[in-house]
Amino acid sequence: MQSEVSSRAKNVTRYGCLLLAVSFLAGCKLPGKPKDGPEVPRPEQVLSFDELYAANCSGCHGAHGEKGPAMNLANPEYQALVDDASLRDIIVNGEKGTLMPAFGEKQGGELTDAQVNVLVKGLRAKWGKGDVLSGLNAPTWKATHAGDPAAGKLVYEAACARCHSASGSQPSKGGSILDGSFLAVVNEQMIRTTVIAGRPDLGMPDWRSLKQSGPLTDNEVTDVTAWLMSQKPALPGQPYGSAAPAQPAAAPANKISGKD
Amino acid sequence: MPWYRQVYDWLEHRLQLEGPVMEAMVHPVPRKTASWWYVFGSASFVLLILQVVTGILLALVYAPSAAHAWDSLEVLNHQLPLGWFLRAMHGWGSNFMVAVVLIHMCQVFLFGGHKYPREFTWVLGVCMLLMTLGMAFTGQVLRFDQDAYWGLGIGASIAGRVPFVGGQLVHLMLGGPMINGATLTRFFALHVFVIPGALLAFTGLHLWMVVKLGINEWPMPGRIVRRETYMKEYHDLTHTDGLAFVPLAVWKDLFFSAAILLAVAACAAYFGPFGPKGAPDPTIINTVPKPDFFFLWLYTVLSYLPPNLETPFLLIVPPIAIAFLIAIPFVAGIGEKSWWRRPVAVFAVFFIAVCWGAFTQLGTYTPWSPQMHAWSGAPVPEKLLVNRTPLERQGAVVLQQKQCRNCHELGGMGGQRGPALDDVAGHMTEDQLYRQVLQGGGNMPAYGAALSPAETTALVKFLTTLKVNYAPAASDASRQVADADTGTAATGAR
Ligand code: HEC
Ligand code: HEC
Ligand code: HEC
Repeated sequence: MQSEVSSRAKNVTRYGCLLLAVSFLAGCKLPGKPKDGPEVPRPEQVLSFDELYAANCSGCHGAHGEKGPAMNLANPEYQALVDDASLRDIIVNGEKGTLMPAFGEKQGGELTDAQVNVLVKGLRAKWGKGDVLSGLNAPTWKATHAGDPAAGKLVYEAACARCHSASGSQPSKGGSILDGSFLAVVNEQMIRTTVIAGRPDLGMPDWRSLKQSGPLTDNEVTDVTAWLMSQKPALPGQPYGSAAPAQPAAAPANKISGKD
Repeated sequence: MPWYRQVYDWLEHRLQLEGPVMEAMVHPVPRKTASWWYVFGSASFVLLILQVVTGILLALVYAPSAAHAWDSLEVLNHQLPLGWFLRAMHGWGSNFMVAVVLIHMCQVFLFGGHKYPREFTWVLGVCMLLMTLGMAFTGQVLRFDQDAYWGLGIGASIAGRVPFVGGQLVHLMLGGPMINGATLTRFFALHVFVIPGALLAFTGLHLWMVVKLGINEWPMPGRIVRRETYMKEYHDLTHTDGLAFVPLAVWKDLFFSAAILLAVAACAAYFGPFGPKGAPDPTIINTVPKPDFFFLWLYTVLSYLPPNLETPFLLIVPPIAIAFLIAIPFVAGIGEKSWWRRPVAVFAVFFIAVCWGAFTQLGTYTPWSPQMHAWSGAPVPEKLLVNRTPLERQGAVVLQQKQCRNCHELGGMGGQRGPALDDVAGHMTEDQLYRQVLQGGGNMPAYGAALSPAETTALVKFLTTLKVNYAPAASDASRQVADADTGTAATGAR
């Protein structure tokens, strides 16, 4: 009897010790235990594409690379169109003539070369689908020569006007791209990229189906871009429309009457 | 006689401690005082001991030099087994200690414990509260991460505002004109030697008086404290209706202290240690430094104050508050103890508690700091971009690129420095938007020089689309009259 009790007591102590040891080991996996690496890494140590994209690009290019205010990067055709070096150059130096900022450290941005590389690789991996343009005879990303605006006007009428209207003041399905302020904040490359790769997220087709009679040629794309750029007014963004130069005093008077 | 008994007797024969200790232990306390309300003082003491023990262990590893402090915390967090747990215990212990000390203080005040003859116990208590807060602040500095760095910067700028000697004060505090290695060693000395030494000495005195003067009796409405009679009344009370402190009252203290220690351990295990946040590098400006929990209220109050009131507030209010706390037992040292008969006291405690809670809660939101990454990291909500013209779309890009989002929310994302812009066109006309953007106003910078006319036009065109679709856009009757006069159609920009 006595010995039974004491052996049970021994058992209890044995299990108790086991339990203690297990809970101690489990202690090393407690939820409060800090994860590997510093809690807040230095900004230049962030090397994950998703984090970098979310913090630096999603504001303008959309959380998922589309439907943002600026170009959609999640377009496989665009990813096939542009080469790594150009992509890197745009991220580091920004794009002159547009609102795309420079992200390179030397240009006053915050991204190191390593981080830019991660972005370039990640854009390909996430949104590229390989060489989807091969054999389609697509125009090149960069224009090879200067365009002819006069010829471009005809291309515009044939390929763009049905969606973007013939004149800037006429509202249309795609909205005017002849607006002086719009043309002043974009550049040739932006239009070229949009025409070739399209904006599938917004319902603008790529270069193959803009013109009813067939794909646009490289020359046509170059020309229409040149014509659009030539439509940029000398003093873009004057308030109160075309009437502004004629009677400058009337409107600005109540412009001052702000809310406070 | 067994050997330990012999050793004990040998020592006792020389130390003579048994008598006083036994007396202190079995001294009678009023029966109703053996209540769960009286456990916070002893819990504060137990937490102090916990902090001393964990603090000593931490000091074995911690390197109080600017170059190595942050790294040594990383070592504790990641390389030493359970080092993180030690840090967490110390950090959570500090939070609990401040909280329990504050509760203890409220309890004592509401129960009239500061009245005759315990005025000096209260005064010491106020000093101990200040030291506890001092420990919390210096401890946060020793973490020497970004929060600590900016916290120190703020502390130094407060010191720098003191008239005449501000400069010297900053020098004294930082060990130089700016935060450097000497700053850290200074705070290390304060946190490890000066304040704890004083705190332990004060605690000893405080306890001595608690034992000598007896624990405050449970207040009864109508039982008035009079200097002439109180001592005798208390003596009678404890001897007619008293309990021996050990074991009849002490078990509740022990039980509660154990529960608090377990709670600290549970928080430490579950939430882990505090920081260290990013390395303390002043070149990393994209941080939102925040003070520790107890100082959040101050942060809120300061952000609400108009700038020209900040200095007077910082320099006048704390001394007044401290003087006020110390004066309490001298102004109200006799009379009623019961909270039923002290409405002003009860109201004051609740008022302060509610204010503190509200300010702390507000402080957790940081609506006052811009969000430095919103411009590139907060997407424009897709539904605000449906059916927009290319110009309006570029306007949205301008809004991002000019960093308006750092201060303004869209779709619940972005800074909160200015109002959310989701339906700004519902109450501002195009003209008013132009004015606001170009001239700024309130706390908003003027963008006139930073935006080209085309960018401004695009931006305002986008802003005018920001309204809930069933509501009409804001309109300006005078504009129609002016347009009718001049014969212009209100088509807006080109
Ligand atoms: C402030 C807004 C903004 C941010 C942030 C931004 N971009 Fe852009 N980006 C633009 C604009 C505007 C253009 C010009 C094209 C357009 O408007 O559609 C552009 C163009 C580009 C292009 C070139 C398209 C072409 O013509 O070939 C690439 C590539 C690009 N961005 C990548 C990035 C990446 C990667 C990031 C993050 C590091 C980023 N952008 C962040 C606004 C932004
Ligand atoms: C089938 C209709 C269609 C045709 C044809 C078309 N577009 Fe578009 N385009 C659109 C739509 C839809 C949008 C998106 C408008 C919006 O929501 O901002 C758009 C947008 C654009 C944009 C602005 C892109 C941006 O990032 O904001 C440009 C530039 C543009 N188109 C140029 C052209 C040019 C140049 C042509 C002729 C070569 C052309 N488009 C032909 C439908 C069309
Ligand atoms: C530093 C922070 C800050 C930045 C950056 C900022 N704003 Fe503001 N904004 C404010 C504040 C604060 C107010 C409130 C002003 C007041 O009280 O009169 C405000 C007010 C406004 C209003 C009026 C809103 C209303 O409902 O009354 C508009 C519109 C606005 N800002 C647009 C912009 C635009 C566009 C930009 C970028 C070009 C911008 N803001 C950048 C802080 C900022």
